[in-house]
Amino acid sequence: MEQMMTDDLLANAFERLLQTHCTPAHVREIENGASPDSLWEEIEQSGFADALISEDKGGADLALRDVFPLVLLCGRYALPVPMAETMVARAAYAAAGQEAPKGPILWSDDIPFETPEVRRSTGALVAAGLLVGALERAFEITVEFANDRTQFGRPIGKFQAVQQLLSIMAEQTFAAKMAAEIGFASDGWMPDPLLAALAKSRTSDAAALVSAHAHAVHGAIGATEEYDLQLFTRRIQQGRTAFGSETYWNRLIGETVIASDEEGVLDNIRQSLSA
Amino acid sequence: MLGSLPLVSIPPEDEALRPAVRAFLKDALKGRPRDVLARSWVGLDADFSRKLAAKGWVGITFPEEYGGGGRSPYARFVLVEELLNAGAPVYAHWIADRQSGPLILKYGTDAQKDFYLPKICKGEAFFCIGMSEPTAGSDLASVRTRAVKTDNGWLLNGQKIWTSGANISQYMVALVRTSGEPEDRNKGLSQIIIDMSLPGIDVRPIKDMSGDSHFNEVFFDDVVLAEDALVGTEGQGWQQVTSELAFERSGPERIYSSIQLLDGWLDYLKSRPVISEASTVLIGKFATHLAVLRAMSLAITDQLTKGLSPATEAALVKDMGTEVEQAIPTLIADALASEPDAPVPDELLRTLEYVTLMSPTFSLRGGTREILRGIIARGLGLR
Ligand SMILES: Cc1cc2nc3c(=O)[nH]c(=O)nc-3n(C[C@H](O)[C@H](O)[C@H](O)COP(=O)(O)OP(=O)(O)OC[C@H]3O[C@@H](n4cnc5c(N)ncnc54)[C@H](O)[C@@H]3O)c2cc1C
Repeated sequence: MEQMMTDDLLANAFERLLQTHCTPAHVREIENGASPDSLWEEIEQSGFADALISEDKGGADLALRDVFPLVLLCGRYALPVPMAETMVARAAYAAAGQEAPKGPILWSDDIPFETPEVRRSTGALVAAGLLVGALERAFEITVEFANDRTQFGRPIGKFQAVQQLLSIMAEQTFAAKMAAEIGFASDGWMPDPLLAALAKSRTSDAAALVSAHAHAVHGAIGATEEYDLQLFTRRIQQGRTAFGSETYWNRLIGETVIASDEEGVLDNIRQSLSA
Repeated sequence: MLGSLPLVSIPPEDEALRPAVRAFLKDALKGRPRDVLARSWVGLDADFSRKLAAKGWVGITFPEEYGGGGRSPYARFVLVEELLNAGAPVYAHWIADRQSGPLILKYGTDAQKDFYLPKICKGEAFFCIGMSEPTAGSDLASVRTRAVKTDNGWLLNGQKIWTSGANISQYMVALVRTSGEPEDRNKGLSQIIIDMSLPGIDVRPIKDMSGDSHFNEVFFDDVVLAEDALVGTEGQGWQQVTSELAFERSGPERIYSSIQLLDGWLDYLKSRPVISEASTVLIGKFATHLAVLRAMSLAITDQLTKGLSPATEAALVKDMGTEVEQAIPTLIADALASEPDAPVPDELLRTLEYVTLMSPTFSLRGGTREILRGIIARGLGLR
């Protein structure tokens, strides 16, 4: 209970920051070439990017599972600076006993991980968390739109065909979030590689359908630059393939299951694909 | 909008049940081929159910005063997961354990609880569900079977259909009209318990397309029922049924219908000198989807332990669960036939054939896909 409270407080504080400093209008400005420096400065001052490093190094000593809500928020607000990546990268530098570069850190081979595989699976998990945030926001925007947009004398959300599309979006978003939560369920700053694989596989699997249905429900307005949906569906498409698509990670999980001594699929799930 | 359920894991004291159940099943199901095990859900085996009851594993969540196990929904999760994963023939006691018992616990009189619950826990009372009728499928509120009040009970006339296990059950919980007309829809409906040995009841098995008979037509011709056949409140049948269905949708049973096929295929792949990349990816995809479904199903179980009934989430998990259950035979058939010259064991082919034949029903029983998505849409506030 106490843990939940602190998680909530943390997420609420970060969300307030994003509400003020990461509006859709500002996201567009930065995408169109405006400097992200002042936005980054706000984040830096708030200390959130140091959440995963130890207190004696100026961090908050949180675990990956604690920062899951923060990563979701980065996705929900289409944050155009690499806050989630930096948070994890700083933990990696600290763990390696190295000085992290100043400012935001883009994911690269310079970040010290024990192996390229671990670097990739950790990056994939961060991408999965961001993806879920974007999926949730795209879904919400679409439900709101379906309630507002009227055709044939009633809100389109009253039409059964539209309801079915929204139900599928709800299912896929719900499953993707659960998968990401499994991936983030680590008490350290690094994920279990197989759970990160699971998270990226399932979230990527949900991405194309959620994005397609969001646009289908919106009609033409959803395809415009001016309407916010594209901020999220573009990120959903990018996030789906970042650090490997669902097929990449399914292959890895499939190889593990086939190589394992466990008898059936359930025991594989219980032993290595559960948080 | 849609909330999210917290990630949970099975408490150690409930997880501790698993080895004993597994050992029992290993022995009880010894030698059965996978195509027989695959019938788990529709496997009617009264002996097996009574053996399970003797272990205390029927009515595991019922209070101990009625002979139940007094355990949490998590214990039932472990038990049910093991039963379905092993392909145990569960149908005889399934409905009593999952729906009718909890219904009686919730709405029954003390006398009804004292009478039925101990029998259920001993494996002496199997129940079936009489909801569907020839003209009332998804539109369940349009049922026409009618119980008319008499001086000392009820007079029952009408017909049910698709009643799984009616041919071996001692009792049926039926949704019937007790007042008004079919046009009154969900007003005037009640739930009654019917003793299947009474005169005037005719049960006719229906063969499914694999050749099995598990569901039935049931005819009622002037069946005389005592007053206490009514369970719950007269006229409240619709509300009662709705909460009963939320129960039935929330367990782990919507994940494992194709598990024998999947495990059989995995065994086959492991025996091959080379495994195609497509098959490896597919195993990974199924494992991933099932792992996430299982986590969601556990999260729902956690809500049940807290006395909540997350109907929208349960509908959502059931719909996605049946989708994967149906994808398993479709995609495994494709994978096997992508190498038409590779020898495939007979048992695997028979399992594939059976699961393929039955897979369309996975998304019908307990509410069709379209109906579930309607429930989700209602949960989203769209209707
Ligand atoms: C293996 C099996 C076991 C069963 N066991 C039992 C049992 O023990 N007891 C029992 O009472 N019943 C049982 N059933 C019946 C089951 O509950 C019904 O099949 C189910 O409710 C659907 O009804 P129906 O078959 O009459 O199809 P219909 O309701 O006629 O539906 C046909 C199609 O129309 C669609 N449809 C209907 N209404 C709508 C709507 N409003 N909007 C959109 N689409 C709609 C459906 O989704 C479906 O695709 C069983 C069924 C199966 C397959």
